[in-house]
Amino acid sequence: MIANVLPLSLFPALILIVGGMLIPLVPQSFRKVYMLALPVVGLLHFLSYPFGSYGEISLFDFTLSIMRVDGLSRIFSAIFFIATALNIIYAWHVRDTLQQVTSVVYPGTALGGVLAGDLITLFVFWELAAISSVFLIWAGRTERAIKASVRYLIIQVGSGVLLLGGLILYAHDTGSIAFDLMELSSFPVLLIFLAFGVKSAFPLLHNWVQDSYPESTVSGTIVLSIFTTKLAVYSLARGFAGTEQLIWIGAIMTLFPIFFAVIEDNLRRVLTYSINNQVGFMVVAIGIGTPLAINGAAGYAFCNIIFEGLLFMSMGAVLFRTGTIQASELGGIYKSMPITAFFCIIGALSIAAFPLFAGFVTKGLIIDAVSGEHMIWIWAILLFASAGVLEHAGIKIPYFAFFAHDSGKRCEEAPPGMLIAMGISAVLCIGIGVYPAPLFALLPFPMDYQPYTTAHVITQLQLLLFAILAFVVLIRVGVYPPEIRSTNLDTDWFYRKLTPAGLSVIGRGLNVARQWISASSQKRLDQFIGRLYRLHGPESTLARSWPAGHMALWIAILLGVTLILNYF
Amino acid sequence: MLAQISLHFPALQVVLPLIASPICMVLRRERAAWGVALVVSWASFLIAAHLLIQVLDEGVISYHMGGWPPPWGIEYRIDALNAFVLLLVSGIGALVITYAHKSVIAEISPDNRCRFYALFLLSLAGLLGVTITGDAFNVFVFLEIASLSTYVMVALGAGHDKRALSSSISYLIAGTIGATFFIIGVGLLYMATGTLNMMDLAARIADLGDSRTLRAAFAFIVVGIGLKLAIFPLHLWLPNAYTYAPSVVTSFVAATSTKVAVYVLMRFVFTVFGTRFEFQGLTLTYLFLPLALLGMFVPSIVAVFQENAKRMLAYSSIAQIGYMLLGISFATVAGLSAATIHLFNHGLMKGTLFMVLGAVAYRLRSTDIASMAGLASLMPWTMAAFVGGGLSLIGVPLTVGFISKWFLIQAALESGQWWIAALVVISSLIAAVYVWRVVEVAYLQPAPADSQATEAPLSMLIPIWVLVLANFYFGIHASLTTNMATRAAEMLLGAGT
Amino acid sequence: MTDETKQTQAGEKATWLDNPKHIDYLVWALVALCVLVAGADFFYVKHPHFDVEHIRNFYGFYGFACFVFIVFAGKLLRKLVMRDEGYYDR
Repeated sequence: MIANVLPLSLFPALILIVGGMLIPLVPQSFRKVYMLALPVVGLLHFLSYPFGSYGEISLFDFTLSIMRVDGLSRIFSAIFFIATALNIIYAWHVRDTLQQVTSVVYPGTALGGVLAGDLITLFVFWELAAISSVFLIWAGRTERAIKASVRYLIIQVGSGVLLLGGLILYAHDTGSIAFDLMELSSFPVLLIFLAFGVKSAFPLLHNWVQDSYPESTVSGTIVLSIFTTKLAVYSLARGFAGTEQLIWIGAIMTLFPIFFAVIEDNLRRVLTYSINNQVGFMVVAIGIGTPLAINGAAGYAFCNIIFEGLLFMSMGAVLFRTGTIQASELGGIYKSMPITAFFCIIGALSIAAFPLFAGFVTKGLIIDAVSGEHMIWIWAILLFASAGVLEHAGIKIPYFAFFAHDSGKRCEEAPPGMLIAMGISAVLCIGIGVYPAPLFALLPFPMDYQPYTTAHVITQLQLLLFAILAFVVLIRVGVYPPEIRSTNLDTDWFYRKLTPAGLSVIGRGLNVARQWISASSQKRLDQFIGRLYRLHGPESTLARSWPAGHMALWIAILLGVTLILNYF
Repeated sequence: MLAQISLHFPALQVVLPLIASPICMVLRRERAAWGVALVVSWASFLIAAHLLIQVLDEGVISYHMGGWPPPWGIEYRIDALNAFVLLLVSGIGALVITYAHKSVIAEISPDNRCRFYALFLLSLAGLLGVTITGDAFNVFVFLEIASLSTYVMVALGAGHDKRALSSSISYLIAGTIGATFFIIGVGLLYMATGTLNMMDLAARIADLGDSRTLRAAFAFIVVGIGLKLAIFPLHLWLPNAYTYAPSVVTSFVAATSTKVAVYVLMRFVFTVFGTRFEFQGLTLTYLFLPLALLGMFVPSIVAVFQENAKRMLAYSSIAQIGYMLLGISFATVAGLSAATIHLFNHGLMKGTLFMVLGAVAYRLRSTDIASMAGLASLMPWTMAAFVGGGLSLIGVPLTVGFISKWFLIQAALESGQWWIAALVVISSLIAAVYVWRVVEVAYLQPAPADSQATEAPLSMLIPIWVLVLANFYFGIHASLTTNMATRAAEMLLGAGT
Repeated sequence: MTDETKQTQAGEKATWLDNPKHIDYLVWALVALCVLVAGADFFYVKHPHFDVEHIRNFYGFYGFACFVFIVFAGKLLRKLVMRDEGYYDR
């Protein structure tokens, strides 16, 4: 037992989780350095582990394997550490202990999930990630944020419940809790698949992302944007690689957010749609499941965390300095924040997959994997989606925030912490784009792939430049839709408007939800709770203090029933 | 010398607190009385631990009172099941009494404090006696000792809230009816078999086979114990008794007394009657199972709406008894293991939570949920312990609650009733709701500006945290409890064949 | 890029981009680049996976068409799903 426990005591995820919990004990003056040391030490320590399973403990008849290091978990863990460090640098100005703690603990829990070698461990970290991340939304400290956090928590914990249900049935059916490739052919596995689906924001299960992430704080949203969905991507790659259904699910995921992103005014919410779209690319690759495709998914996740993070960071900086992130209120900010604008454009070029940027070398892997399988429709959809990415993330974000109509807003350049974090991200974007070999070496499978062929570069440039040309034409002829502040209905309409009752039944007991509902005059629900209350509340038949005579009556009844049962 | 004494450990387990009780009464200094109770409780715990180890090593211990062999003399018979229960009862007793000193001063009037310690030891002796004895009539005697002292202890809450008196009276009436039913059942058994020793009873019942007397005995015993157990809907005495009793009493009684009743139920249904009769199966399936399911839900929902945290947990206890009853109603090794595991685990979690509320009451003079606003900032360790116990109550992994639910769900699946497994999960969510209500008030609402509350004294915090850590320790090293429980369950079912 | 209503604040130096003429330069530069990459298709050998890739400048046309489609679809979608800001708070 002891021998097995020992490596656990140094479990890399615990460095972040426990180290993060200790943050309040560290004085503010020294705190930032301490926080930055956590992911750095964690990464170095993690890299010292050779491939293998660690920390095996037995629970009932099962053996848990707390930590599994292999090619797939290594690349995700590495980028999780890097992203944690970048976020800490970005949030150098933040003095809010709640945010400081969660921005370290939450990545730690997601990391624990990535390293989990069995489903029970995965479930534990799955739920821990749900619970720890909700504090980041809470940290927005607005009424909207609190409401959104409750909705977020219900969905996230719900995903955990699906996972738990699935794993219990799965363990019962197969006697195994191994977190390995599963076949999507039985009910338990379907539950697990759905749990992953909720967290990776499958179409129609996606809207919690848009609902909650933009309500967090400037730096909180960036932390959120990275870990939860990527943990789910990792889980799909681990459990469902080569599951054909994923190809179409992923393809749809890349498509629909594009249209919503076009009309969305809140630029951070545009980026949340972009998360859905980007995860879609990874999901398609996982569905194909060949070594090249899995490499594509993992590599794209790695790069996406950097450039999507960079875009979120630049929008965060704009929000931080100007106080708004509505495209309709921004414009011309490049005059005040030229460096931020420059970094944002690098992020935009990367996500749009221009040659020499990080997106190009890794997205190429996915597209090649698709065309290698001769799936013309999927290929066409992904190209279409690439044009969509260019539209909302490549053009809309930098253009409406920094250029377009000059809003007249003037402010300071972003604080140094933000600039340094964005600068490092930008350097990584270009570095990987120019010299991808080290990243390729980190990928789970060995491969022989040449990103810079004439055809690759030319066709990609054709696609992107002509799409930009379309943008210019549309703007010039005045067809491009203007930015309007609005609420755009999405699937959250179903649970926020059509069936609030359904949601509220779940959240009813959570008092927050209860108060929120009764405030919003949900008559029918009030009646339902009223009925429950009349039956179960303190003054009800079921809860009243009864005189002893009634007890005697019940005893008589029960004795009667027992005797009848016994005699017949 | 020690070896000589250890031979008599089974007797000492009961006799020690029984003798110490009047000593407490005679001592007129509460500090001295507390000291005696403390020493005796811990000694009981050590004896129980020793007995458990001995049972694990050597198998069943049969101790003959006064040297008279059974079935004429009284036999104390310790096997895997009751050794386990003894450990729980004495362990909780020791922790509660360690914690009790300050709480007693706060909640019990000065002239009653020595009496309280005397009653506490008496009740401890009674519960240990019920558990350890192998004699059916002896069970009744100890059950009455435990119950009578508990009635009085509940009434001691009158110093704080007069409603404790009426609660105590109705508890007394209910308990007495239960005990009467039980003794009628035992009388009928004696009539049919001519013996009172449980093993002897089991053997003779097996020989005699089915008879009307036997069926009546079964019905009376089950309903009588069911009342002590607070099976829904025989629970009506419980919420008031738990709410108005002094916190120490609630912590002890909630964690032990119903558990001992569950033990007696299992002992009689499976060891004494065995599982050979059709009427038994009918009772389990058509009476216990529905009541268990109702008990899992109705009191849970009632708990959600309670304004007083102690009362809320009282209703939660009734719901938890539903889980144990559910395990019993399967009458399989998996089901009985689940019931035994939950018996132990629920003792841990409810002990924790009620002790936390005792600490809250010590500082706030109230356990109303509303009065706990912002308490997390004033009593961080206390409320953190509540969260720990609450997580365990909900059944979050790494806590004992998860182990309980896991085994219960496995047992349900094994008997092919997946819908019951689903109900277990759903009812756990209700627990999440009522635990959350307290957490929400304590953590998210601001504390009233004039609040004077400070962290609970260490003498309370340490026992609380020992239990919190136990909740996690046994949640991670589950094999300790699960192996014991499986052994106990196999023994219970094996005895009948 | 097309914006004519300058709000350049008093005392602020106009930037290079504030001049609409410079924007026009940028647009023409883009057009020139497009012509360049489209023309490049005539000068190298392709190894396409799909038949459509044989079309010269297929990617360019496809990208242009997709972009226009997305924008128009977005405009349509806005008719369907746009509500005022406080929609959910009512």
